[in-house]
Order: sequence, then structure tokens, then C-alpha cells
Amino acid sequence: MSGRRLRTLVLREVRATLRDPFTMTILVTVPLVALVLFGFVLATDVKHLALGVHDASATAASRRLIADLGASGTFDPRPYATRGALEHALVAGTISVALVIPPDFDRDLNGGEPPQVQVIYDGGEAPLAGNAEAFVRSLLVRSGASLAPPAAAPGGVEVVTRALFNPRLEGKPFMVAGTFGFVLSFLTTIITAVSIVNERLTGTFDQLQVTPATSAEILLGKLLPLGAVFAFDVVVMMLVAGFVLGVWPQGNALLFVAVSSGYVFFSLALGLYFSATSGTAAEAVQKTVLFSIPLVQLSGFAFPTRNMPFVFRWLAEVFPATHYIRVSRAIYLRAAGPEALAWELAVLALSGVVFMALALRTIGART
Amino acid sequence: MAGPIIKTRALTKRFGAFTAVDALSIEVAAGSIFAFLGANGSGKSTTIRMLIGLIRPTAGAIEVDGVDVIRHPRRVRDRIGYMGQKVSLYEGLTLGENVEFYAGLYGLAGAELARRWGALRERFALAEAEGERPEDLPAGIRQRAGLAVSIMHRPRLLFLDEPTAGVDVRSRALFWELIQEEAEAGATIFVTTHFLEEADYCDRVCFIDAGRLIADAPPEELRRRYSGGYRVEVALPPSARAAAAALLGGEATPTEAGLALAGGPLDVPVLGALARLVAAHPEARVSIEQPAMTDVFRRVLAEAGAAR
Repeated sequence: MSGRRLRTLVLREVRATLRDPFTMTILVTVPLVALVLFGFVLATDVKHLALGVHDASATAASRRLIADLGASGTFDPRPYATRGALEHALVAGTISVALVIPPDFDRDLNGGEPPQVQVIYDGGEAPLAGNAEAFVRSLLVRSGASLAPPAAAPGGVEVVTRALFNPRLEGKPFMVAGTFGFVLSFLTTIITAVSIVNERLTGTFDQLQVTPATSAEILLGKLLPLGAVFAFDVVVMMLVAGFVLGVWPQGNALLFVAVSSGYVFFSLALGLYFSATSGTAAEAVQKTVLFSIPLVQLSGFAFPTRNMPFVFRWLAEVFPATHYIRVSRAIYLRAAGPEALAWELAVLALSGVVFMALALRTIGART
Repeated sequence: MAGPIIKTRALTKRFGAFTAVDALSIEVAAGSIFAFLGANGSGKSTTIRMLIGLIRPTAGAIEVDGVDVIRHPRRVRDRIGYMGQKVSLYEGLTLGENVEFYAGLYGLAGAELARRWGALRERFALAEAEGERPEDLPAGIRQRAGLAVSIMHRPRLLFLDEPTAGVDVRSRALFWELIQEEAEAGATIFVTTHFLEEADYCDRVCFIDAGRLIADAPPEELRRRYSGGYRVEVALPPSARAAAAALLGGEATPTEAGLALAGGPLDVPVLGALARLVAAHPEARVSIEQPAMTDVFRRVLAEAGAAR
């Protein structure tokens, strides 16, 4: 390894990248657009949902319950005089969730019987419904408990779930933390996909291999500048997530940057491997796109891996993105430290070593 | 003459069922210009890529400047220069930046680089191109720049793969002059081309067809072996013809304009006889027709085909 040769290679890559407006635009805009898009638009957030209420009880207690539900900002309660009207509105889509308070609500509350309220929701919008349902339940439990006189039996209402982190079940932090994994995995491989194959086609790769530069120098010459750009992207994304979306990491920000930079480095190596094993730029891009499909479906970015059939759950474990997304959510949402993440970090490091070795081998390969 | 600087023995490269290079054994003398001629797809590039260690042969042995490049491709890297079919300058960087880049990989910088590049820039007439990007340069200049960059580190051996493809005639002539200067300065040049007439710029010519060596000799010898030879025509008045024929020896045949000498080599006795003839008959007009390399190659191919 020669420092001068490496510096020469890095300088050229930096120059080429800086002069390519398309690459620069992609490197800066894609992460930010994805972040804002996923954070704002796709977040399975529960906010200002139209909550239809049929209050058959019409007592002070039931009115307080409704007021409580409205106070959180999650629901906008709308009264419906009959149960039929309520169901009609649900079918028509004017409301997403409906609540029926029975006539004997007040009596049950004071009589020691657990009060029965019915929650009806549109199961079609599964993720939203799930969140809304869980939230309305937790609100009802809290509100129901405070409504009950001290003399009443404790725990008079069934407790189903309790959110330990992110108690308001906001979708944003979840999506933001996942977006890092999605953007970094996808962008690193797509940016490097054409890198080597293009140099092969223009002949500069042959030229490079005839010079004293070693495969390791050539690999690092490409990885270091792009790695630096992506590390910068990580920081920018964190700042945008914080200032624009109000999502800051609960855990150590430096740990997050360090893990992300390492992940970016390995992911770039994988992209270079795709590139070095492709005959044309189109082939390299196709490989990247094919690789990115399971990135969305399997990595847990959009769908929780725990709900997957056994085979796919194992398949998901093979993707480094799965582990990186887990780590970023752990740091962002649960303030996890390195010791809690040892296993995931070890898997990431191992896949990094494998990718680097693969890239190194293909770069130096003589066919 | 020094011993061979490149030696291959039964060099073979197969891509699946296709044999690109078939048991090729060649020797290239140090300090010579060695032309590797053949049609497109005849195995020229594959051979050159094996010689510089870019691809691994299926069988056979290669020695370049005393190094087994199949086992140790890296050991000759700073002794060889290479220019591929596509001139390998980075687009997006100016020529000057390309120079700086490649020089850096060979450990050239500072005053030494300034001195060497300054001299090359002068000799290759590249001063105006220095600030331009390769993609904006005409093919001829780009290729000259590519050559300059590939000899900046003063390689003992220069491998040029179709360096004159797609370049106009004038640039090609200038390019060959530069190559010859390099050879005179001591470098060995291994050059592939499909322009058969370029063989005359070279010391030795190899013809390759379908991966097989079909001829290997200096260009003059190939002419002698594979053509009807030179045709010398002497136009002179009928009165002088008998005396002139005597000067040229028994081989001269009468023609409408005077005399003709066909099929022989253009060697010292013939040239001496012609000089004496012109001295004795100042009115005589001599024209010499050189057999075209294309015809030579055609005949080499035909004979190789017949032998198969």
C-alpha cells in the first residue's frame, strides 16, 4: 500500500465526483427527499383521525371520556345520534374509527362492573387501523381508570398493550430510523454500480491495472471519497430529521454516525462488487435494483420481520440492511448502547469483511 | 542484437469452446518495433492483454523482461507502458490532470514530472491540449496524448493495441514517427494493427490468423517470400535498350516503353546496376513498384490456408 498512490487515486475520484452534477444531485437530494417523504407522508402516524362517537349513555362520565379522547390531538370526535348513522359513516369513509358508549356506561363505572365500550374500525387500512385501535384502547384505559371513583376495584378496565417507547405511537421516528437503512443501502449500491463497469468500458480500468497501483489501493481509492460523502449524508439526514421532522436520536448520535459510516463503507464495497462482475452498465444497474427489492420487503424497513413466514425471516437475516435498520431503530428509538447491539454489530462487521474481500478479489481478477 | 525481451511458448487462450490464441510462440528482440498484424478478431488484443498480465492464459508460458508475468504480473508494471484501443484518459479531467494522475501512480511528481512532461509536451505538440478534456480533443491529438501519458514513466517496453485505429492518415504518420523515436531511444515496441501497410514501420512482423501464427519475419523478407517481388520499369528510347539490358543482366525483359525487371528483390546488385544505367543513359526514367503488404498478407493467408 503506497500512500502517494492512494492519495492520487482518491484525488481523481473526488474530482470526478465533484464534476458530475448528476451524481452530486443524487447524493444530496435523494437522502433528504426520502427522509421527508417517508417521515411526513408515509409515516403510519395517527393524527386527527375522525372518530365517530355514539354516546348512548350521555352522562357526565361519558362526555368526559369523549373530551379526553379529543384532547390528545389524535382524534377528532364527531357525535352520531344513532348506531346506524355511525356505521353508515364508517362504511362511507367519513370516519376511520368509531366508538360506541353503551347506555349503562355510567352505572357500570360506579357499580364496580368493568364498563364496556365498543371500538369499531376500518380494518381495510390495516397499519393505520392497528395503530388507531391500540391508541384508542390505551386512551380509554387511562381515561376509564381516572373516571372510576377511588373506591372502585383497581384495574377495572382490561389492559391490553402499553407502549414502552414512543408512547404516542408516532410513526415518524420509526420511519426516519428505517429510512437511513433504506437510503444508504440503495444509494451506495446504485452510485457504485456503474463505477467499475464504466471504467472497464472506457478502458481506464485496464490502464489502471497496468500501473503499479494494487487492487487494495484501487478499491480504497473508490471507497474513501464516496464513504466520506455518505458519512456527510448521514449527518445531514440526522440534522434534517431533527429540525424538520423533530426526530432526534434517543441514543448516542456519535455511535449512530460511526455505525452508519461503517455500514456505508461495506455497502459501497458490495456495489463495487456488482459493478466489477457486470459486463455492461445496464447489467450492473439491474443487479442493484434486484438487490433492492428484498431491501424494502424483507429488511423490516416497511414490514416487521417478525410477522414473516419462517423461511423469509431467515432470508431477512442474511441481508445486512436488516441488521443495520435494527441497529438504527435501536439507537434512535430505544437509546441502545453498543453492548446491547453487540450481536447486530458483529453481523454487520462480518458482512463487511465478506463484501470487502469479494470486491477486492473481483477487482484483481484476471479472467 | 540483444536477446529477446518478450518470449512466449505455446501461448494459448480459450474462451469456452472458442480458441482465441492458439499455441503462439514468439520472440521479440529488445529495442525493436514488433508488429502484430491480423484481421479483427484474430487474437491480437487477447495476446497483448496476456502479455501485460490483464488476462490469464489457458496454457503456455510468457516471459517479459525476464519476469514470468503469468505468476507475477505486478513485477513488470513499472517497466511497461500500455495504450489500449480506447485511449485510456479519464473523461471529465483535463489532459494536465490526467498526466498528474498517472504520474502519481508511478511515483512521479514535482520537478521530475515537470521536466519529463515538459519535454513530452513539446515533442508531442500537446501544449494547447493540456487544459482540454480528452473528450473534447480530436482523435489524433487524443491518441498522441495517450501515447505521451503511457511513456511518461519511461517504460522499457511499450505495448500499443491498435493505436492508430480511427485516426486520420496524417496523424498516423506523425504517430509512427514518435514511435520510431521511442524505439531509437532504446524502448521495445510491441504494436498491434490491422493497417497492413504500417508493417513497414516495424523491424519484425507477425501475421496472426484465427489465433495462429502464420508468418513471422522482417517486412522485407515477407515481401520476398510472399510476393512477386519488386517490379522495376525503365523507360528509355529504343536505341539505348540493348546496352541498358546488358547492364541490368539477363533478367530484364523488353516492354513497350523500354525494359522491365520483375520478381526480384530490391538488393544492392540491382540498385547498383540501376545507378550505372542511369549514369550511362541520363534520359532513362526508372520507376520501382513495391509489392503492397496487403497482397503479401493475402498470399500468406492463402498459403496458410492451403497448408492446413
